[in-house]
This record gives sequence, structure tokens and C-alpha cells, in this order.
Amino acid sequence: MSSFLRILENEVQIAALCFMATMYTIKLIWLFRFNFFKEKTIPAGNVNAAILHSMINIGQPWAMESTRKNLPFYFQFIIFHIGVAIAIGVTFIIPYWPQLLDNILIMWAFQLIVAMAFAVGIFRIIRRVAIPNMRVISSLDDYFSLIFVNIFFISTIFAIPNEYEKNETPLIIFFTLTTFFLLYVPFSKISHYLYYPFTRYFIGRTIGHRGIYFKRKGLENE
Amino acid sequence: MNKHEKKHSSVYDLPLDLKSQQKAQGENLKSIAKGNLRLYHPQKNNKIEFIELLRKRINRHIASSMVACVHCGLCAKSCHYALARPLDPTMTPVYKADQIRQVFKKHIDITSRLIPWWTHARSVQCDEDLNRLKNVVFGTCSACNRCSFNCPMGVDTASLIRFTRGILTELGIVPEGMFNVSRDQWETGNQMAVSKEDYRETIAWIKEELQDEKVTTQIDIPIDKENCDFLYVINPREIKFDPRSIADAAKIFNRGGESWTLTNWGWDQTNFGLFSGDDKLGAYVAKNVYESAIRLKAKRIVISECGHGYRSTRWEGYNWADYMQDIPSESVIKTLKRYLQQGCIQVDPSKNPDPVTFHDSCNIARAGDLIEEPRWILNKICAEFREMHPNRQENFCCTGGSGLLSMSEYKPLRMEVAKIKADQLKATGAKQVCTICHNCVDGLSDVIQHYHLNMKVVQIIELFANAMVI
Repeated sequence: MSSFLRILENEVQIAALCFMATMYTIKLIWLFRFNFFKEKTIPAGNVNAAILHSMINIGQPWAMESTRKNLPFYFQFIIFHIGVAIAIGVTFIIPYWPQLLDNILIMWAFQLIVAMAFAVGIFRIIRRVAIPNMRVISSLDDYFSLIFVNIFFISTIFAIPNEYEKNETPLIIFFTLTTFFLLYVPFSKISHYLYYPFTRYFIGRTIGHRGIYFKRKGLENE
Repeated sequence: MNKHEKKHSSVYDLPLDLKSQQKAQGENLKSIAKGNLRLYHPQKNNKIEFIELLRKRINRHIASSMVACVHCGLCAKSCHYALARPLDPTMTPVYKADQIRQVFKKHIDITSRLIPWWTHARSVQCDEDLNRLKNVVFGTCSACNRCSFNCPMGVDTASLIRFTRGILTELGIVPEGMFNVSRDQWETGNQMAVSKEDYRETIAWIKEELQDEKVTTQIDIPIDKENCDFLYVINPREIKFDPRSIADAAKIFNRGGESWTLTNWGWDQTNFGLFSGDDKLGAYVAKNVYESAIRLKAKRIVISECGHGYRSTRWEGYNWADYMQDIPSESVIKTLKRYLQQGCIQVDPSKNPDPVTFHDSCNIARAGDLIEEPRWILNKICAEFREMHPNRQENFCCTGGSGLLSMSEYKPLRMEVAKIKADQLKATGAKQVCTICHNCVDGLSDVIQHYHLNMKVVQIIELFANAMVI
């Protein structure tokens, strides 16, 4: 392995990760500076159960009409995000646990899932461009994030075999894109997962406190 | 106004009607002098003030919903405006929320401020923009909360809409109908400007009518009686247009052997602060109710049938007023259910023979806790109950929510998108649609009339009183 690729896989990635962590910390501090109000009413439901339900809602397609009635869209969402998780995972696996990819079945499974995620990504780009309602709400960030993640998927598929002895180019492209990814994400909508626990917490707290879901025991028969 | 708004809707260019504001200013109203009822001042720098208020009022709940949206567009599948106008991109909840989100991104969001053009961040430029925003948040959304419940990210679009309404209300940039009702609630303590004399006379008249009916041995409608089991708070619509519902409640409470009272002040459980986004008004009206209950040493507060009234009095009001709840409060629906469970009132369902369906009020099903209770009662008091689909937390708005009934300029659009509700009602084949919300009574009545449905709107208290075995 060339020293360039070694530094790119290790030191550069760590530096980019530190930058992302710093930006996320700043963002969280910023969010925590906004007031937080406490409910002043007598609760009618189980708040903790509702918050938990709200947090894991995304894993229950039957829980929301929007996912229940759009199952193909939901499964695309699942595939896309598993693809993202694998692509991110590979950025750690290659430098720190490369032997995992020696298992050909794991390697193929990763490549297949990321390829499926890429197909979903292409569909999502077409959807965003072709549907006027989607075009109106889309910003440059929405388009670029999607296109960029798709390019990242392609580079992941080629990087997964980790054959640096034969050709370093796929790995250099992959880790260069990863570096850019880590620097760009805090400024883009891709960082939505940082806010997910907050929005789901607030929804969960309301539906739990008010007994919309998870009514407090003993109150059902009142 | 952008090209999409120009192409699809006439709502966005509706001007700010200032006739009522000018009249109110001429009358030197107390609420204006105290700075409670806000007027529009064209000479002021409203743009700067809007941004300052946005900065000042934002809390963590609102901020997280501002930043979390990924523009997936799934919310459009749950909004009756977007479903009824699938080709109009300005009707999607995400588009509406983005109108305030873009301003937030431009001025507050920590990263978008650096690269505003990249994320559609933009500021308001002039009062015209604020008027357009008024038409978006007041005219194209009934804040039914359906999109919030269907957002995979948990973005609370309904709260963003209310938040924006609140800022515009502070600047006096509000639809005339909203201004008028807010004025009445500030000035008289109730949203229909019912005077103390009218209130007392109406109650006395209901009492006389009931005594003439001789349905029970002794009927009383006490006012300001101390140490009762509960204080009954009502919707001014009941005094002004529907005294029957108070008479029905009195019959039922007397039959149930209740110790109850009305109050001379703080009797309005409705709250336009919820609709206008004005937390100060919300706090004032709700506190009137809470303090009346304390003054009369009532053991609890019972709220008559009303969706937003229940939500405001039972839930939001305490938060607006920064008032730790000290007395339990409940909807009259729970009180009625208790009578049936305890067997203190007997009912005969054959007295309500027509098939009846139930419409869940948005402010109760998605912002309150009464979902199964009304169904339980209807199954006891009606011969045939038919479920509407979708229902419970997934029900569609009556289309009159969030004060839209008071804003006539938006009625044509409201009736157009009511097709979703009309189809839903029609599919039940029921002769009656029951709701536990006065606002929904009017909203559904408009839908029924507009789409020529063979149906009438009823409330539980009416069906309950009718089914009582005397």
C-alpha cells in the first residue's frame, strides 16, 4: 500500500471525523440553547413508552398511514439507509478490520446491498426531478446530497474488494469521497439523523403525556 | 409571490384587510391600549420585527422541526389540501412549512446562514412578503396535525404553522375574521362577545324552558355556586346559537344527581389563542377558566363538547399561562361515560334509530386523549354506529379547523379541498355524523351543504339526552 493511501485511510479520515464531530457538537450546543418547555398538566398517558414508540416508529411501517400505504417507498427507504450504513461501515472496516472482507459472501452481500441502494438513489433523483411538487421544494443541497451519496455508493462497490495490491485507484477515490463526505455532511441535509431524536422525542412526549397513545393504566375505564 | 403560487391559487394575493383594525383603533379599545390586541403599523419596519420575534420566540421543539425536514414529500400524502389538489405544489405541507423554514435558515440556522443560496434560505423583503406568508399559514392549512403524525422524521409542521401565525398576529398581519374574534375574546372574555346580561338571560330562559318540559322533577342551572363537584365551562356558540346543548347538559347532570355550576366569568372554554398563535391571548382565556374554578372551590373542571376548546383548556392553556395544573379537568364525554358505567343514567339506544358515524376532531384525536370514549358511548346510545374510514388519529379534518370558519376569504379553497371529507362521509352511508366539537359541527355542515350530502350533524350530548330513559 502506498503511503498516500495509508495516510488517506487513517490520518486524513480521523482529521475529517474530528471536524465532523466538532461541527455536530456545535450544532447540538446551538440546539440546546433554545428554550425547552415543561408540560404543566396532569399527564394522561405513559410518556416514556410513547417516546420509545416514537423513536422506533421508523421500524414499524404499519404505525403510520404514510408508510403503510406506500410500502414500496418505505422499503426503498430501508434499502437506501442500509446502503448508507454499509458504505459508512466500510470506511472503518477497510483500515481497521480488513479481514472481514476476505469472506467472499460478506463482500458480495455488501456490494449487492450497496448496488440496490444505488438503484434506489437513482430512482430518488428521477423522482425529485420529474415530479413538479418535488422540484418546487428541492434545494441545491437536496439534489447535490442525493447525487453525491449515489457517487459514494458506486465508489463503495469498487472499494469493497480492498485490492490495493492490484489497483489503488478505487480506494483512493473512495477515501477522498469519504473525506469530502465528512466535511460536507454537517452543512447539508444529510445530517438530519442528528435531529431525529429531538423531533421524535417531542412528538413522543406529546402523544404520551396526553394519552393519545399509551393511556395511563386505570384511565381507560374512566 | 412565485410562479407556482400565481399559477395555482388566488389565495396568496389576498390583501390585508384593515377595516376592523381601523375601527378598533377608533374605539380606543382597552385591549389595544394595554398592547394585547396588536394592530398593523405600515410605517414600522415589520420585516426586522418579524425576524426579531422569530429569534426571540423559537424554542427547541420548533427549532428541531425547522432543521429536521429532508424534503421527502411524504407529508403530501396525508394532507387534505395536497390530496384534493395533487397538481398544486403549493398545497403540500412541506411547501407551507418551508415558507417560514427559509427565513429561519437565513437568519438563525447555524450552517445555512453561511451558504443560504445552497439551502433555499431567504429572508422576507417587505410587508408584501409578510402578507403572502399570512395567506399561506392562515389560508392553506387547517393545522390538523395529520402531516406531523405521518412524517417519518417527526417534523411538527402544524406547530410551525401556529408559530408563524403567532408572529404575524403580533405584527397585526392577520385575516380580518381572526382579528375580530381575538378582539372580542380580549374585550369580553368570550369569543362571541356575549354580554353578561345576555349570558344570564339565556341561561334563565333555558331554565324556564326546561321547567316547562317537566322532564325531571327539579331542574337547576346554577351560576357561581360554590363547592360544587364541577364547574361546567362552555362554548359561546352554545349561548348564542345552540342553547339546546346547555339544556341537554342540564337535563343529564340533574338526572345524574350532579352537584355542578356554571360561572359568571371565565365560562368560555374556547380559545382563539390556539388558532392565532397568540400565547398571551391563550393564557388570558385559559386562566379565566382556571381561576374561576379556584374562586368557586370546584373540585374539577368539566369542558363541554369542543375540539379546540378541550385542547386549549385541558392541555395547552396551562403551558401558555405558565400555570401548574391544580384542579383536574375533563371533557364532558368522560363525565357521560361515567354515568353510563355507574348505571346512574339508563339509556335506550332505539331512541336514536338512524345510523350514525363518528368524526374525530383533530384537536382531540391528534392533540387530546378522547378516542375510544365517544365510540363507547355511541355504541350504548345509538341503534347503529358505523365507523368512518380512516378514523381516530388518522381521520381527516372537518376543513373548518384552526379558525378557518371565521376567515371567509379562504372559504372557496376550503370547500374545494373538502372533497376528501365529503367522500369520507358519503362512504359511511350514515344519516347522521356525530362529533364532539362545535367547530366541526359548523365545518361539517358546510361540507354537507356544499356537496349535497343527505346527512345531519349531531353531538353526543344531544343523542345522549335523547336516549335517556326518563
